[in-house]
Amino acid sequence: MGSGVIKKIVNVIPEACTGCRQCELICSFEQGGSYSPRLSRIRLVKFEDKCLSVPVTCTYCERPICEEVCPVGAMTHDPVTGAAKVNEESCRGCKECANACPLGAIDMHPEKGTAMRCDLCGGDPACVKYCPAGALKYEPPHHSVKEKRRSRVVALNLD
Amino acid sequence: MPQITGDILHVDLSNNTSWRQPVTKNDLLQLLGGRGIGVRILWDLVKPGVDPLGPENILIFGAGLLSGTAAPSSGRTTVTCLSPATGLYLKTNVGGHWGAELKYAGFGHLVIHDRAEKPVYLWIDDNKVEIRDASRMWGLDVRETDISVKKELGDEDVQIAAIGPAGEKLVRFAAVMFSVYHAAGRGGAGAVMGSKNLKAIAVRGSGGVIIAKPTQFHETVLHAREKLLSESGVEGLSRYGTAGSLNAVNEMRVLPSYNFQRSCVDDAHPLSGQCLVEAGYLKRRVACFGCVIGCHRYSTVEKGVFAGSYTGGPEYESLVALGSGCGVFETEPVIKANELCNIYGMDTISTGSVIQWAMECYEKGALSRQDLDGLGLRWGNGQAVVEMVKKIALREGFGNTLAEGVKRAAEHIGGDTHKWAVEAKGLEHSCVDTRSAKAYALAFAVNPRGADHLHTETLAEFGLSPEARALIKKITGDEKYASPYLTEKRAEIVRWHEDCYAVTDCLGFCAFTSTALYGVTPQIMAALFSSATGYDISEENAMNAGRRVVTLEKCFNVRLGASRKDDTLPWRIMNEPSSDRPDSKAVTSEKELNGMLDEYYSLHGWDKNTSWPTKTTLIRLELNNVAKELEDMNKIGEE
Repeated sequence: MGSGVIKKIVNVIPEACTGCRQCELICSFEQGGSYSPRLSRIRLVKFEDKCLSVPVTCTYCERPICEEVCPVGAMTHDPVTGAAKVNEESCRGCKECANACPLGAIDMHPEKGTAMRCDLCGGDPACVKYCPAGALKYEPPHHSVKEKRRSRVVALNLD
Repeated sequence: MPQITGDILHVDLSNNTSWRQPVTKNDLLQLLGGRGIGVRILWDLVKPGVDPLGPENILIFGAGLLSGTAAPSSGRTTVTCLSPATGLYLKTNVGGHWGAELKYAGFGHLVIHDRAEKPVYLWIDDNKVEIRDASRMWGLDVRETDISVKKELGDEDVQIAAIGPAGEKLVRFAAVMFSVYHAAGRGGAGAVMGSKNLKAIAVRGSGGVIIAKPTQFHETVLHAREKLLSESGVEGLSRYGTAGSLNAVNEMRVLPSYNFQRSCVDDAHPLSGQCLVEAGYLKRRVACFGCVIGCHRYSTVEKGVFAGSYTGGPEYESLVALGSGCGVFETEPVIKANELCNIYGMDTISTGSVIQWAMECYEKGALSRQDLDGLGLRWGNGQAVVEMVKKIALREGFGNTLAEGVKRAAEHIGGDTHKWAVEAKGLEHSCVDTRSAKAYALAFAVNPRGADHLHTETLAEFGLSPEARALIKKITGDEKYASPYLTEKRAEIVRWHEDCYAVTDCLGFCAFTSTALYGVTPQIMAALFSSATGYDISEENAMNAGRRVVTLEKCFNVRLGASRKDDTLPWRIMNEPSSDRPDSKAVTSEKELNGMLDEYYSLHGWDKNTSWPTKTTLIRLELNNVAKELEDMNKIGEE
């Protein structure tokens, strides 16, 4: 089953990110009740000498490879909302999903050893709500493509 | 202990040992964390007679109590030690992301004892502590060190605090640099680290911060965040950074220029935050850990002599110290000089100040071009400023004299040059004209680390925002006291800000959240402390703990021999009006300062003659052991 029912995803606008890590903090709190970037489903990639930070999270593939490779069927989607789920009962911590995900959007829980991925907070992602820089948007996937198309044409300065 | 506190990690570099010490409940409630616990450790371990650059000095890193949580802009760290610039107490506070990582490794404080025989770096990997060889890193700049340590440890996400060549060469205003471009800049903590042969401290923490009452805490966090973000000053700070205020400061005639000979110039715009944005130097806005404002900058220069420069900053203080203070009103040399200060690991305020002094000496004939190694250090010569920054960091030629700080340099050159050395207690004055801002003047004079604004930020006295005017009313009872030219009520304004600033530092908040913007109130801080630790305290308890911290810092200096005569201002501030002031009385005279000091000491319950705290005051603050020790030394104030 794919994620075709998903209408919106977390789109990242990397040039707006200030690297404050509020997304990681809020996510870990929502997911596990403590503040710990290691538990966050969205993670920053930082290049400190250039003061550059880029958030990385699950983009909800149409054919999720994490689900295809999972040998125990622990990676599923809610059939109604499309939200990703990890069945922690059946997940054996084999890490196939983390290895297969081309984006590095899946990590393993440091204590439980089970897979962690973004569930979009049930349709109201906290990382987006609390990003103070406007670097995260919850929108239909094609929106960012549309904006990119437009901004490239604008940059041509046609009159 | 509540898990949020984190243990104190002690490391002795002389014998490769480390040990863990829990924070006691009493210390936590009395001193709140971060800076408060830091001064307690310093008081206990550094007695009179210690050489700041000798092995007996200790270097304390204290993450804010709330660092690592989502509390808005609370990721700051305080570095505490005996200062090689002043020989007195030093706390220097820094942003970046290092402190939160220390918390995630399970520690709130790190205390470095003694010195290593050879260059080393410290590697804290959760609860594993390792002292590693840094011989091949000695001499590398801060950026190179960061890259080198991360490469050796095979992890790009490790957080690093490091010194550059300036720290190695014991420049008295060398900084400890965090997350590459964040400076614990003032007072020479970098030289203390250098004296210990400690090149860097790398930290990786895989844990989290556990809150006693998570739901309650998180609700208060979201409330604080909303309150902070709704303030009138946020947008400007976020968009234009700290230098967004520079043009306004110039218009208010408090912009130090030409080594404090002027306080207003025709066109300061090239140094403003607006110019950084509009002229395209600003590549992006940057935030410290957990910060919802994001006032830090990342700038580059793409064309001209300084093409290829890239650095965090420049901030307001750096733009003034290395720009208008030197008569330089071009953006690019300041970005370059700032980059060099950052990667050599040097405080930009003191670096700018010593160069300004050398410029004035050269202009007035006290120093020749030959004395300055052939550098034409005239007002406005940005290229010469950049060259001199390098010489100071590497202690080359006349740079070696300036690396001692402006007080010692002026003593060395002699004559009238001490009048142009804009310092007090041996610390170079930061970049607001305290001749025309009287609460700042008082705050600078009583600051235990020397003449700057980072012990007590009294921006509210200018009354620039509705929030600032409301605060002045809260403190003094009347909005009319929001006027920087008044000496009345300055003691009250300073004392409130001291208490609040101390609480702010202890918890790890940025001073901008509570004493420049005002969204994070003492009441909110008390509520966050309570739900984070599970120990309920009131706003009054929190402010009282702030007072205790400030008083203990004062006592540390008293024990070293400090008294009222040390609470002073630079000669120029007290005696010489800036040349562009229409009003020739625009100084903060000794008489004015003395009047404010009398009120300030009385308000604190300190002896007016000596400035020493009285026994009653110390007992009221439950500093009984401190009172006893000072009494035994005959250094207790008369009631």
